[in-house]
Amino acid sequence: MRLSLTQLAASCLMLAAPLCAQEGAPSSSMPAAPACTAPVAPTGALAPWASPAPLTAGADGAHAALLKTGQAAQIALLPTPSVTYPLQPEKPGGSVSHGGVMALEVAKAGTYRIALSSGAWLDVVGADGAQRSVAHGHGPECSGIRKMVDFALKPGHYTVQVSANGADTIRVLVAALP
Amino acid sequence: MRLPALALLTFGLALGTTALAGHSDKAARVELGRRLFYDADLSRDGTMACATCHEQFHAFADGNRTHPGVTDEPGRRNVPGLGNVGRFSPLTWADPRQTTLADQVSVPVLGTHPVEMGMAGQQGEIVRRLAANPCYRALFARAFPSGDGSVTYPRVAEALSSFEATLISRGSPYDRGMLSDQARAGQKIIRRDCAGCHAGRDFTDLRFHALEAPQPRDLGLSEITGKAADKGAFRTPSLRNVAVTAPYFHDGASPTLAAAIARHGLHYAAPDQAAIEVFLTALTDQSFLTNAALSLPRPGACPVTNRP
Repeated sequence: MRLSLTQLAASCLMLAAPLCAQEGAPSSSMPAAPACTAPVAPTGALAPWASPAPLTAGADGAHAALLKTGQAAQIALLPTPSVTYPLQPEKPGGSVSHGGVMALEVAKAGTYRIALSSGAWLDVVGADGAQRSVAHGHGPECSGIRKMVDFALKPGHYTVQVSANGADTIRVLVAALP
Repeated sequence: MRLPALALLTFGLALGTTALAGHSDKAARVELGRRLFYDADLSRDGTMACATCHEQFHAFADGNRTHPGVTDEPGRRNVPGLGNVGRFSPLTWADPRQTTLADQVSVPVLGTHPVEMGMAGQQGEIVRRLAANPCYRALFARAFPSGDGSVTYPRVAEALSSFEATLISRGSPYDRGMLSDQARAGQKIIRRDCAGCHAGRDFTDLRFHALEAPQPRDLGLSEITGKAADKGAFRTPSLRNVAVTAPYFHDGASPTLAAAIARHGLHYAAPDQAAIEVFLTALTDQSFLTNAALSLPRPGACPVTNRP
């Protein structure tokens, strides 16, 4: 599903400019979750967020679970000590946290937005190493999307690492941006 | 070499445990403290380490206005950088009681105003988590050989403070006498207009000052002292590495150096403003931002022989 310019503008409101870290930009506050009375379904490219398919994270790169672009996944994570990340995360999480390894196949070059339901650390690792994010921010308020990170990806195989997650599950959506 | 003990430690890690046999207790505490600094098991759900907010490439500041804790409670104050923090006392924006690094550890780990790492009343859980790791047991035994060497919360704090005391930043162009003419011009302005508070080798007098009318959401020093005269007073921050620690002020509400300078009521013509910023940028110690001895330990084998 494509995102209209208006929808894109709305969803990008809280996205910061290119950065080397995911957790904030100068002059932007690291967002805390807002108080919500009812969930708000995201729209546009983020609309699949509302209907996730179950998935179980891999414990290492060889057993990575496949993430499908445009299909949200409710991922069962593993205790961090059980995970061997192909690349050491910058924020690996403690022994009581959770994480896991997924795979992503990119067929067309473009910008891909990865939405998470928590503030977990996210790495996208390609053949040339960790991919640098081009923008990040938080999702539409009360949508359940806590964090979004954009990557400019070429066609190829990528490993998606989720680390330092407090809960044993996380919802993830990879969306191709126009 | 600025950190001979850590450099030796890094060399020792490369050679294996035999090379570490002669290490001093102090070096062992630094090594242990470094691991603890990056360990999110010091937080309620294992998601926040000290390094979550104190990022090396920001000179161990944050880059956000404030940072929420593990319960999503918003942070109250901007995360300060840690360069040369071992020389500072008091340590924080507005609490004169925080005079030692070891005692200050409990503010983020156990504090509730706001909740940061969320371990209030859970010191035993911290000990349980760490003691479950054979490597930590060995590291504590090596770092604290005079007692039983067991894992305790006070030892966690002491080891963290030992590591933090090694966060020494003295390698900037300013330190090396490599200031451009423009930077020297900026230095003169800083000396004239700012050195009343941004004084000394680290550009801070470590005293509390009120620069503007107190804001109800954060009354600063008076929250601790109860004195009306202390309302809106905050401790002068160091200017070391200031170019990489934006945003500025206790509330992080000044996104740029220019905004922070203007918030002091100081307004300069463009050439002087540029000179000031060039000088402030010359206080950035790139080696401090990239020193591997201060960074996240690489995964792998435990650096000491495990003990039961």
